Formats: sequence, structure tokens, C-alpha cells
Amino acid sequence: MTRRKKWTASAVAMIALLVFMSACSSSKGGSTASNSPSSTASSAASEGTDDPSKQPEITLDVFSNLANYTGEQTGWFAKVVKDKFNIKLNIISGGQQKASTLLASGDLGDIAVAIGGDDYKDAIKAGLLLDWKKDGLLDKYGKDLLENAGKSLEANSKQFGGGTAIYGVGNSVGSGDGPSDGARTTFGPMLRWDLYQKLGSPEIKTFEDYLPIVKKMQELSPKSDSGKPTYGFSLWSDWDGVMSVNAKVTAQFYGYNEGDGFNTADIMMTKADEAKWIGLLDDDGYYLRGLKFFFEANKMGLLDPDSLTQKFPDVINKYKDGQVLFAQFPWLTDSYNTTENTSQGKGFAFVPFTEEKMTSSGYNPYGSQYLWSIGSKTKYPERVMQFLNWLYSPEGAQIAAAGPKGVIWDIVDGKPALTEFGYKAVTNSVDMPAEYGGGKFTDGGFQANNATINKSMINPETGEPYDYSMWSSYLNHDPDPVTKSWREAMGAMTMKDYVVKNNIVAVQPAYFSEEAPVAEPADIKQKKAEMGKVIKEFSWKMMFAKTDDEFAKLKEQMISKAKGLGYDDVLKWQVENYEKTVGAALKK
Amino acid sequence: MKANPHHHVYTPVSKKRFHLGDKYQLFLMALPFLLLVFVFSYLPLYGWIYAFYDYRPALPLSQNEFVGFRWFTSLVSNEFQREEVFRVMRNTFAISTLGLLTSVLPVIFAIFLTEIKNAPFKKIVQTLTTLPNFISWVLVYSFAFMLFSVDNGFLNNLLINMNVIDQPLNVLGSDNHTWLSMTLWGVWKGLGWGAILYIAAITGIDPELYEAARVDGANRYRLMWHVTVPGIIPTFFVLLVLGIANFINSGFEQYFVFKNAINMEHIEVLDLYVYNIGIENNNFGFATAVSILKSIVSLILLFAANSMSKLVRGEGVI
Repeated sequence: MTRRKKWTASAVAMIALLVFMSACSSSKGGSTASNSPSSTASSAASEGTDDPSKQPEITLDVFSNLANYTGEQTGWFAKVVKDKFNIKLNIISGGQQKASTLLASGDLGDIAVAIGGDDYKDAIKAGLLLDWKKDGLLDKYGKDLLENAGKSLEANSKQFGGGTAIYGVGNSVGSGDGPSDGARTTFGPMLRWDLYQKLGSPEIKTFEDYLPIVKKMQELSPKSDSGKPTYGFSLWSDWDGVMSVNAKVTAQFYGYNEGDGFNTADIMMTKADEAKWIGLLDDDGYYLRGLKFFFEANKMGLLDPDSLTQKFPDVINKYKDGQVLFAQFPWLTDSYNTTENTSQGKGFAFVPFTEEKMTSSGYNPYGSQYLWSIGSKTKYPERVMQFLNWLYSPEGAQIAAAGPKGVIWDIVDGKPALTEFGYKAVTNSVDMPAEYGGGKFTDGGFQANNATINKSMINPETGEPYDYSMWSSYLNHDPDPVTKSWREAMGAMTMKDYVVKNNIVAVQPAYFSEEAPVAEPADIKQKKAEMGKVIKEFSWKMMFAKTDDEFAKLKEQMISKAKGLGYDDVLKWQVENYEKTVGAALKK
Repeated sequence: MKANPHHHVYTPVSKKRFHLGDKYQLFLMALPFLLLVFVFSYLPLYGWIYAFYDYRPALPLSQNEFVGFRWFTSLVSNEFQREEVFRVMRNTFAISTLGLLTSVLPVIFAIFLTEIKNAPFKKIVQTLTTLPNFISWVLVYSFAFMLFSVDNGFLNNLLINMNVIDQPLNVLGSDNHTWLSMTLWGVWKGLGWGAILYIAAITGIDPELYEAARVDGANRYRLMWHVTVPGIIPTFFVLLVLGIANFINSGFEQYFVFKNAINMEHIEVLDLYVYNIGIENNNFGFATAVSILKSIVSLILLFAANSMSKLVRGEGVI
């Protein structure tokens, strides 16, 4: 009998355990719905003192859709924030899937960066974002935010908070005329300056004119530094959305942007400074022109045959080795323009074409759409707000842009200037001091990877822009041979100077709407996914087509397939939204 | 398990106080496992409800738009869409069929491996063939890229230096024999691992059978053919039937890492298609709808395979 009892007892125990386990999992959903009341209780303790550095140490979870790094923030930025706020930052890198998971779990961490479009609206609806007006949080701790990003806060309130609540603030807030780019613009094209000079700087009228020139450059330099074959162009497919990113840039050289910067409008291209648009697959559009460009490049042996199968880091390594001679984006060339190369006169520089009209966004007082917001589950709303406020203060923005004062830069004769150490550190040729966490300067920056105040804005405390590469001291500091030769040839100090002087830039004015962008309906989303996949696939096939006939045939197939899968419906929906909002504003 | 001889002696005593009939007792014993099955196999079916909604992760289901069967019908909504689905199914079935055909390779491999008498050599072979199973597909791809890339790949460098070819081959960026090459990568990765079960089955064969066969004058190949092979056929059939049930689940990771625009037409199996259309674009409703269809097809295939097995061998596995 005892044996039987034991059996029954253990069976009952196991059942109890299982029921308990399943009860646990099902109760999860219930607890997320109720807002935790603990936030007010625990934050009361941290209000004891005004000096944030005297408060107890806390760790904040920073979820950023833009971060390329996951883990604790290290390096000089971590040291500055720890000293000033006694805060440690835990970076959670994003991506659509990760964002969905966090949204479904009901907790977006303490700071949420760049939650996009429809997700942002849903998050507010589900109560996952903190209202900055609650308990006077913004008024109490957000003086600099109100002063430097007031219009952005207002816009957020109107679009998402029904005019009363505020759920976040836009990035890259600024005001003024002209392009908001830094000294170096967003788009190139860049060529290997040394080789271009050797060819006698031939004139380049249209985008296609680069092809014969790059071919000659390849003949001049057939082998890279390590003896591998050189190419004009090396592309990558891992950033492609509904189209090939590399081919799309062609439109941006001609003043057309992908989308309109406000709506979900990714299969149309809109003129930056006029109320004009073209469809992605328009026959005379810039996307197809871009595909044709790379197709011709491939026929001439200028296109890296690994373009299709390699990943983005492989491309960077090829630039580093000098295997690639042309770059669409200036930042691609960083790995080649090292002090070692430029001191020998080898390096990339901006070589525009006559027809060029590169797109640029103007200063935007409402901020761009990578919003900074606070998760409603945070236990420390006050301290998060203090930290965010600092990021939007001249002091914080300056440090985020140029590193710690006294180490990387300082005020010399009333003007900001990099220190001797700073000049070496910003090119990553020396490590940061151990007390600043060591490592490279660029690795020690804020890993949330999102700007607050536009870096080209003037810092009222120094009288010069936040971006150190725009300081007069920096511009006049011993330019390397490549920069020197470029300045002499082009008659401008920086790329931005040049494009403004020669009027080859199309600046998109800031757009403001009282309403949030329209959410993408389910059937449009579905159709876009289907036809986007086809466009992506055929784009690459077209670039690598063997003959003109094959190119034309693939193009026809792409267009008929994409149309069959709903291209026209998606385009119609996107154009409607554009014409009601950004398009209408540009017409005025 | 052997029955407890004292069991019945106790029964009348307990009857007086509290007695559970034998069947209840057995039921109680099985209950924890039934619960496990329920929790992990039936409860998740509740998630099928997402197939009928335009699900947005932040909001509770009640606030999401109910779309009925839209995700199901969208699969066949027009001619182009049907063509897409047909292409994807063709890839899935082709790669799965090749997978089933190559499932005899681990059997053959296991038989020959057990025949090796030199123990250290046997160990080395087994370790080397099992090892790839533990390398993730992501690493396999970077390894493949190093071997086969056009620009600086090992194979191209070798062949060009040996003057076998003068133009580098683009192995990864071509659509020739995609189904076959994917199957071969799978075989390379899974051969040793797949053989383990069969090696275990071979070890379980009664040695007396071998002795008897030897006495009857069977040579080594006869032993393999008449003793070893029949000994592991039941194992093979169980795995084959389960494999057929999994026909439509041809996998995801491998095709995800090897896919590119050129080979997409032939590499896009059902799971990859669901990822490209559903998950990548946050369309969980659609992804769920396809997975429901998949479960139904798997179920049909399982029963079909089982009846085939009954027909051919006179016994099924379920």
C-alpha cells in the first residue's frame, strides 16, 4: 500500500508542477497589461540630490534600431556618462525582428531609439512609451530639450500625442538654410584622386561618363596593394530592401530620393526640392538607369564578380586594400584614406559630374524620423530624462560629436580645436587613454548611433559647428597631400562648400504635418513584399546579364512580373499619400 | 518492464480504504506525459489564430484587424502569384526528393564503417564525418565563400595557377545544378551524424546470427547483405517514413545563407519563401497561414507513407 501511495503522490506532485508551469506561462500576458506602479516608488529615492553624479549607479537599457553593437557601452562615451550621471548603458541592437519581439513582450527598455512608422503608433496605442508630460517630467528635467528641440516636441505631440501628450523627439534637429550635411556630403561620387589626376582630370558630364574614365584608371592600376585585381565597382546585396541599394543611388545623384522622408513610399522616388515623382520601374527612371550602368560596367570588366555573393564587410576590406576605384558614398572610402595612404598622395576624393544634383536634406526643426523615446516600463523616468536632456544640450551634443573635452579637443584662443592627441585619435591611429576605456576613438562613441542636434549646427558655446571636421582649426590643420591637391583643383575647402558654390545640390525642405503618416494596409504590405523580392532578384540578374538582349529580356520579365504581383496598386497607394502630404507642401 | 509479483497481494488490502482501479492508476501515470504533449504540441495550435489577423506585435489580438482567409487566398490570388507558389513548391519537392534519395548514403556509410577493423582509423573517419554536423550553416557559408569566391577563392587561385582555367569560376553566383549542390552540401554536413543511428542499430544485431551465417559459409559481403542489411532495415524505414512526413520541411538555414539573386529561382524553398515574404516584412499572419498549410500537407504525407509501408512491408510505423 505504501508503495502505491508513493506512486500516486509522485504523480500528483508532477501534475501539480506541470499545472504550475503552464499557469506561469499563461499569466505572463496578464501582467504585461497592467502598468507597473513600482516606477514612482523606486524613483523617489533617486530624487534626493540635484547633482546626477551623486545618485546611485543604475544601468539603462537602450534599444536602438540603428545600433550595430549589442552589450554594455564601453569606451570614452561610457566614461563620460558614468562620471556625469552615474549611469551605465546597456545597448540592445535592433532590426525589424528584434523590434517585433520587444513590442510583443510589452517592454521597450528604458530608452527606445528609432522605432519606425507603424510600430511607433502601435507602441503608443499599447501604452509602451512614456508620456513626457506626465508628472511634469519634461518641464522639470528637459530644459535643453525644450530650448533646442521645442518644435520637434510640438510636432511629436500633434502627430502622435493628440496635442497633449509627448512621446518622443526627432533626431538631427536643426534650423537654417542650405544642406544640413557635414563637411563631407552624404553622396559622392568619389574617385581615386591620384589616378584621376594622372589621367589629367578629364571632364565628366553624365553619370555614364565615369565608365570609360574608371576603365582607364583600372588600366593604370591593375593590381591592388596586395596584388589582387582591381575593379571599378564592388557592390553588396545585404542592405537591399525592395531594390538594389547600389543602383538606387543613381537617383540620388540626380536629385531624387527613395521615398519622401515622411510616408512609407519606398517604390517611388521623389524630387528633393520639387513636387515631382517617378516610379521605381519607370522606363526612363533612374533606377533602371543605375542597373544599366552596372551592366555596362560588368561588360567592361569593371564590376567585381563577387558583388552578388559577398557581404558588406568584404566590400570594406576591398576598399582598404585599394581593390576598388570608385565609391558612391564618401564614407566607404574611410578604410582607404588612412594617414599612411594619403601621405603618399593616394586616396579618394570627390569628383562630381556636370549634370549632378545630389540630394540632401535641409535643416529640420521638427527633427527627422529616428525618434528618441522612453519606454513606459522604465523605473527611472527622471534620470532617463536628465540623460536625454543632456544629449540635446550643447555640452552633450558637442561631446557626442567630438569626444571628451580636454582629451580630444579643447578651446584654444576662444575657438574649439582638436588637441595634438585628438588629431591622432580621430583617425584611429592611436588608442584612447586607459582611463577612457582604451580602444579606438570611433569605437568608443555612443553606440545608439543616432544624432540629437544636427552636427552641422553652430554650438552657441563655441561659436563653431558641433562637427569637428567643420571647425576652422581643423580645416586649416596641415591638410594631407590628397586634400591639398583636391582643394587647389576644385577651389573649395570641403565637399559641402563645393556643392553649395556650384549649385549641384537639391535640398529637401523640412516637412511638417499635424497628422502621423498613414499606416500601410495589410494587402499593400503583402504585395510590396512579393514584388519587391522579384525586383531585387531581377536587378542583380540584369547587372550580370551577358548580352544586351539578355538585359532587355530580363528587364521586360521584371516589369511584367512586378506588375502582375501588384506593383501598380502599391505605387498608387504611395503616390496618393505623397500627393496629399509632402507633394502638396512642395507645390506651395 | 516485468510485472511485480507482489502487486496483487496488496490490492485487496487497499480496497478497503481508497482504491483506484488499475486503469485509473495507469492513466494517472501517463497523465504527466499527456500534459507535456498537450502543453507543447496542442497548446501552440492556439497560435494558428494569428493566420486570420493582420497581426501587429505591440497590440493585443482583439485590437488587430480580422482578415479572415485573406492570407490563404493571397497565395493563389492571381496567375503570377500562383506561378510563384508553384515554383517554390517545385523547389521544395525537388530538394526533398533528392534528400530522401540520398538518405541511403548514411546506411551504406554505417555498414562500411563498422566493417573497418582498424579501430584508430575507424575513430578518425567517424569523427571527421560527424564534425561538420556541429558547424553552423553560417560558418559553412563563410568557408564556402573562402573556397569558391571569384576574386580570391582557394579553388580559383589553385586552378588558375595550375593553368587548368583562365577565367575564374563563379560557383556560388551561378544557378547551375542548384538543387544538386544544395543536396551535396547537406550530405557533407549530415553523413556522419546520420550514420550514428545505424551504427547503433548494427551493434544491436545478435552476434549469433553472424556466427551462424559464418558456419553456413557466408563470406564478408554475404554477411553484410544477409545479416546486417535486414537488421537495420526497420530503422531505415522508420526514419524514411518520418522523413517523408517532413518532406515539405526541407529546412531554412542552409538555403538562407546560400541564396542570392542568381540562384533564388531554384533555391527558394517554402520556408525561405515564408521568411522572405512573411517574417522579413513583419507579416506574421501570412507566415502562420503557410505553416498551417504545411502542417496539413505533412499530416497527409505521413499517413500516405505509412499506408505505403503497410502495403510494401506488411507493417506500418504508426
